[in-house]
Amino acid sequence: MKRKLICLFVSLCLASLSGFSSAQDLLIKNGTILTVTKGTVSNGDVLVVGGIIKKIGRDIKAPSGIKVIDAAGKYVMPGVIDSHTHIALTGTNETANAITPEVVMRDVLNAEELSIYTALSGGVTMVHTMHGSGNPIGGENIVIKMKWGKTSEEMIVPQAYRTLKFALGENPKRANSPITGTPRFPQSRMGVNSIIRREFLKAKNYMEQWDRYLKAKKSKKAAKNLVPPRKDLQMEQLADMMRGKMLARCHTYRADETLEFIKLSKEFGFKIAAFEHISEAFKIAQELAEEGIGISIFLDNWAYKVEASEGIAYNAAFCTQQGVLVSINSDSGERIRRLFNDAAKSMKYGGLSEEEALKLVTINPAIQLGVEKITGSLEVGKHGDIAIFNEHPLSAYTLCEMTIIEGEIYFDRAQYLKEREEMEKKKKEPVKKKKGGKR
Amino acid sequence: MKRKVIACIALAFFCSSLGWARGEDAQVIAIKGAKIIPVVGEDIQEGTILIKDGKIEDVGENVTIPPGAKIIDATGLTAYPGMIDSFCHLGLHEIGSIRATIDYREAGRFNPQVKAVEALRPDSVHIPISRSNGITSAVVVSTGGLISGQSGLIRLLGWTPEELVIKSSVAMHIQFPTVRRSRRAEAQPQDQTSRQVDELKQLLNEARYYQKRRAAAQKDARLPLPEFDEKLEFLLPVVNGQLPVLISVYAENDIKAAIQFVQDEKLKAIFFGVTEGWKVADNLAKSGIPVVFGSLYAMPSNWEDGYDAIYRNPGVLAKAGVKFAFSSQSATLAKDLPYHAAKAAAFGLDRREALKGVTLYPAQIWGVDDVLGSLEKGKVANIVLADGDMLELRTNIKYVFIDGKQTDLSNIYTELLEKYKRRD
Amino acid sequence: MKIKKIPVFIFVFSVILLVLHVLPARVGPTYAIVNCKIFPVSGPAVENGVIIIRDGLIDSIGTQEKVSIPEDAEVINAEGLFAYPGLIDAHSSFFIELPREEPGQRGVSERGAQPEEKNWAAEVNRTAFELLKPKKTTVDSLHRVGITTVLVAPERGIFAGQSVLLNVNGEEAEPMVLKNPVALHINFTTERGAYPSSLMGTMALLKQSFLNAAHYSSHRTLFLSSSRGMKRPEYDPFLEALSPFALNKKPIFFNCANLEDVKRASRLIREFKLNGFLSGANEAWRVVDLVKTMRIPLLVSLNFKPPATSVYVNQGEEKKKKAEEEIYPANAANLHKQGIQFALTSLGLRNSSDILKNVQKAIKAGLPPEEALKAMTVIPAQLLGVADFLGTLESGKVANVILTSGEIFNEKTKVQRVFVDGLSFEVKEPPKKAQPTTLDLTGKWRAMISGPMGEMEVPILEIQQEGNSISGTISSEMGQWEISDGIISGNELSFSISATIMDETIELAFSGTAEKDSFEGEISFEGGSARLTATRIPDRKD
Repeated sequence: MKRKLICLFVSLCLASLSGFSSAQDLLIKNGTILTVTKGTVSNGDVLVVGGIIKKIGRDIKAPSGIKVIDAAGKYVMPGVIDSHTHIALTGTNETANAITPEVVMRDVLNAEELSIYTALSGGVTMVHTMHGSGNPIGGENIVIKMKWGKTSEEMIVPQAYRTLKFALGENPKRANSPITGTPRFPQSRMGVNSIIRREFLKAKNYMEQWDRYLKAKKSKKAAKNLVPPRKDLQMEQLADMMRGKMLARCHTYRADETLEFIKLSKEFGFKIAAFEHISEAFKIAQELAEEGIGISIFLDNWAYKVEASEGIAYNAAFCTQQGVLVSINSDSGERIRRLFNDAAKSMKYGGLSEEEALKLVTINPAIQLGVEKITGSLEVGKHGDIAIFNEHPLSAYTLCEMTIIEGEIYFDRAQYLKEREEMEKKKKEPVKKKKGGKR
Repeated sequence: MKRKVIACIALAFFCSSLGWARGEDAQVIAIKGAKIIPVVGEDIQEGTILIKDGKIEDVGENVTIPPGAKIIDATGLTAYPGMIDSFCHLGLHEIGSIRATIDYREAGRFNPQVKAVEALRPDSVHIPISRSNGITSAVVVSTGGLISGQSGLIRLLGWTPEELVIKSSVAMHIQFPTVRRSRRAEAQPQDQTSRQVDELKQLLNEARYYQKRRAAAQKDARLPLPEFDEKLEFLLPVVNGQLPVLISVYAENDIKAAIQFVQDEKLKAIFFGVTEGWKVADNLAKSGIPVVFGSLYAMPSNWEDGYDAIYRNPGVLAKAGVKFAFSSQSATLAKDLPYHAAKAAAFGLDRREALKGVTLYPAQIWGVDDVLGSLEKGKVANIVLADGDMLELRTNIKYVFIDGKQTDLSNIYTELLEKYKRRD
Repeated sequence: MKIKKIPVFIFVFSVILLVLHVLPARVGPTYAIVNCKIFPVSGPAVENGVIIIRDGLIDSIGTQEKVSIPEDAEVINAEGLFAYPGLIDAHSSFFIELPREEPGQRGVSERGAQPEEKNWAAEVNRTAFELLKPKKTTVDSLHRVGITTVLVAPERGIFAGQSVLLNVNGEEAEPMVLKNPVALHINFTTERGAYPSSLMGTMALLKQSFLNAAHYSSHRTLFLSSSRGMKRPEYDPFLEALSPFALNKKPIFFNCANLEDVKRASRLIREFKLNGFLSGANEAWRVVDLVKTMRIPLLVSLNFKPPATSVYVNQGEEKKKKAEEEIYPANAANLHKQGIQFALTSLGLRNSSDILKNVQKAIKAGLPPEEALKAMTVIPAQLLGVADFLGTLESGKVANVILTSGEIFNEKTKVQRVFVDGLSFEVKEPPKKAQPTTLDLTGKWRAMISGPMGEMEVPILEIQQEGNSISGTISSEMGQWEISDGIISGNELSFSISATIMDETIELAFSGTAEKDSFEGEISFEGGSARLTATRIPDRKD
């Protein structure tokens, strides 16, 4: 027996020495490590093992066999997080009804959409992909990591908050579409508010019915033919909101409609994780800070509709300075790869510091999504979600060279350039053959 | 004697009051202690720029500052020529969803007679925002149909449209039709046919003929004068080579066809967009046609072109020897002009070339490089003082001079911010 | 203890009844197919085999030593031919004429997930049987590819309707029916302009419908057990229609256009404990682990066109071509390598002629031919619950037999003869597509027929031409005969004549070439042929 144990021990040692390493192990060396929450390490290393950051420091010894990435002259930061997109979904809005909390993005994930790769090329490692803003109450959103090439299930981030999409203002009241036939209710902001209130009142009634039924069932005098209430998926979603199991992510632009929604949330006891877009956040920064509600906004995309016509580029910086948790989002499959550029603008428009600017697209959206414990910054114990840039990420001249999720490389510009070169070579060959050969 | 003195003093007052009435023109402004990037010639590590009568009076390391000059201490700042946006809708677009605020698109396919500058709204909130980011002039363009109208060059300062306009007509905008691809592999550009291109050619021929008949009738009273034709009338400067055509064209085959079209019709041309230009860089270089890039905030239409095709396009064309300029292709995001240039620099374009793409090169392309595009003696004093690289995202613009006037850097962003800072 | 013996005649009687139940209305002759190589699928191949078909069943089957040829049999010498069970296409849309699409509703109200506007009950209750419009050309084309049994399902809508299983034995619907209905078919599609207008909406609708069905049923059950004091349940036609499938394990086919559909279907099947089948699924190999663990019956389409969502398809023409020609045809082979059983179907294929071609492609891509054969015979029979009487060549089973000129999935092999329910069908070549023609043969013609019997003048042929179709009449001293099945293809002319001579009708076939004012060629009939030349009679100007 002792011999067997010794053999086992020896073989294990040999195995570790031979450098058995998985695809989720790597060591990034000699870069400028922008941790975002714990300062900067120049000429620093980041060691990821089994997808988790094991060490951040200088001169980390590489376990043998591990993949080493030379980051000399490069900048290493947490992967960018976009907390408002519609990518990787088959369909965005269930437009036929105004109230659709029963639809879930989980059912329509599409892991093969090219925008996932586009996001990776911009250093994005995780997104909150959402129902559209066509309805006062939309569907349930989902948080996924950009694991291009893997299945949709593997992309889901189970630790994230459950969130339900709400929308106020011009979009749900269809202000910018022509009216054909009978207009759909709601057509005004008062209608939008009333319909949201109605649904929560219905949901309260639904919860009451179930409570009564369950109570009655337990009691000894229960009638044998007690009929349970019908399980209604819409009502279940709203009930979950009132039970605190799901948070609201509310699309809004104007300061006034935002305040009304905060009132609604108090009326029914549900929590708001963040307001989306909210061009006029700067007008009510103090209220938002008091309520502890974050915002997820464009930096400077504005004036595309009336409610966005007072959206100023100082919004992000000013609100941050007033104590609001701010994240920058893209809401676009193209803009998603320039989020770090948008973050940089907050230094110019409002004077945020470098670290504050970087937080807008890393730890802040992570906190809003409830995943700050596992990602959003480079800290020991968090997932190895990393983006490597050739210049400082807040410089206009930078580009993303590599995007890593849980220690695996999902985007490698060097590899991409090599493939392009080979492709270009191949394109030129057949032409040569045609010219030379006789048919 | 006392009377003479009083008269002199009165005259002096009168003269100086005249000067005040004319604004800051009469007074010389001296920008002192700045790093100067004139774009033409060597950078000056620390120097002075003198502004007088709206022009650059002098620029250099050792410039004598005349007495009475207003001195602007530019220590720590960098002076650049004001930027030129080569394709935008400033002054023609307020809110995207409100058609009443959009004035750069007409109905119909042939509208050579419309002029973008005639719809300008000097009060547009977007002009001050661009200006405060260092953009001092812009080419405003109308779109729609095949021939969209005349683009004009404006300065980003003025109370009235008159004050905005530098040149009311700098190019005729043509949106080149998509050309049908010939199936044969060995097809020549002439084989790329399109009914619409033929229509264009026919229209230009008609214009030429119209001109001929008019000239002949004017010489010989016996000959009938042709009826006035609005479309043909306004195409005359184009067929005479006096007005260049600004051709919007994107795909590889369309670019080739457009080059052929320009050569066949012997037109002076500038191309816009040219997103697949990198596929035909040599053709473009050979043709000598300059290129204005549209917004780089776009995805390539073919996945196989690569995710960065639009980003690396300017670098490839510049290397091939094509003259180029950048544009914002916007009104609401016109302030981002420098960042398109920087994005191109991130993906292969030389950084100094990128800077030239928003200063000297557009001035040359639009034929105003005698007065704009660089910090040289005699040119118009469009000057930007920045606390860093003007193309950088984090840089703050501290001063913007247009025509020698120091402009107000406030805009709707700063106004609303101040308003809500004051909220009690 | 006395064991009551079941009287033999009762036993025989019930067997006869059972047999009559599956017998078509028609009864064909008894056949003895001899000298063929038999592939029964239920066992090893039989050389020099004999199959006796009587009363629509395989009476006996085996080597010629073991099986004697009965006296009432018509002997078919199948020397050099191969006999297989008729192929089963377990999911198709042949024979149905789709109802015209209803215009989508616009501007729907803001009502919730309760599907009130649309008549969902009608959707579920729609049957393929009521939509059947059998056509001879379809029957012929199916026989040509060896298919003798098809499952026909309605195609459109989230709840497409219920399918029917048919034996392809003629042009009348009822005698074809083997099983009706077979299953409810569900598509992951959407409504247009009405709820659900998005895929996420469809998923929610399906989930809620199954929940509603369960609630409806439990309410009814409770009410039936003790109704006193309970509000009586409302009648809901949709839930009535859905309940057998939602609760009583009646089969549901989920049409899976892509791999996410396979996952969606699997989740629904598991959550609501449905008797689900995955069909279409031409990307099934990409989610093979799920298919393996969930063990949901699988029917895989021979349509190799990759779905629009596929990452193989949206990265340029080269990759797309490779996907269609190499990657997707290997679906079946990949599934087989993982030990997964499946049926092969034609779902999504426009032309039945593509079915065999695509099986050949699948085999080229690695699917063993015997597996391909099983996937179109015994496996679909098992999946559809008809394996007791279909799917293999065994004594007592329904006589669906095909005779081929070679191994069934060989490229050069042609199906020569087909037996369905014991009725014999000869397989003809497909009619050639007519070439466009500049000729117009409408008008009057004079013809001369010359042959071994001598010469005969035909004074008047009247021809009418419409497009490529030729029709008309021949008038002669023997009467007026009909010209039918006439086709002019380029300058090739062919037509048939039904000549009635002294109460006997003989078929004559003409084939030749035509010009503007003349045509000539060969006219053949049973026993011989003659030459026919014709010239146009010019129009008289009156």
